[in-house]
Amino acid sequence: MNVERVGSPIDIAVSGLKAQSARLNVIAANIANADARTESGEPYRRRDLVVRSTGALGGVAVARVGEDGTGKFKRVFLPGDARADKDGYVTLSNVELPVEMMHMLTATRAYQANAAVLKRFQDLTDATLELIR
Amino acid sequence: MPERPDVVQALEAGLRGTALRQALIANNIANLNTPGFRRNDSLFEKVLADAVEDGTLADLHENEAWVFTPGTTPPNAQGNDVDLDMEVGELVKNSALHKTYVRLLGRMYRKLDMAIREDVR
Repeated sequence: MNVERVGSPIDIAVSGLKAQSARLNVIAANIANADARTESGEPYRRRDLVVRSTGALGGVAVARVGEDGTGKFKRVFLPGDARADKDGYVTLSNVELPVEMMHMLTATRAYQANAAVLKRFQDLTDATLELIR
Repeated sequence: MPERPDVVQALEAGLRGTALRQALIANNIANLNTPGFRRNDSLFEKVLADAVEDGTLADLHENEAWVFTPGTTPPNAQGNDVDLDMEVGELVKNSALHKTYVRLLGRMYRKLDMAIREDVR
């Protein structure tokens, strides 16, 4: 006998929860690395999460974590700094704290929305189960 | 397939299955930060469906045999593949299923009760 697990709205909502917590992970990494350098000595380049839909009713999945190449590195005149070049300028990462905060807010709200869908579907199932009390 | 599968027996097996899955999910969540831990699940729906089909419901007693390690979710740096969001989703699904079995069993027993009391309300 073929068995299919029921509750696909729950799976979809869970895929949303997973995607949003992955986004929060990326944002946390961006904020933590705002002042960091890569192994090659380049400033950290901020990352973005790309998600993709897994079919019409399949929910969402993380496609990849891409680097944001559009934002320019900041150049600040800091002659005494250990990272300064010969002209006294320091190149800093393209992470902008207000931008990260904005992304964090939208990711949090999206996570909450997915949790609300999950809760609502649970309430609906309970309402159906009331019929056979 | 037998003429009338024993509904109470099937529901009992179902309840044991949901109780087992509840325990497995609790164990998965408890091991959220255990290095190298892989999540466990139960395949009781499949076992139950096969038993109903073959009429072997009475032999469904070894819960331990229903446990398996899917290993389909990608493990993190510590070799652990438990995802809290996913476990919560499984928990919600499992409790809905458990509630369904309990309600159906309640119905069955109420019907028996009605027949014994001879007063149909």
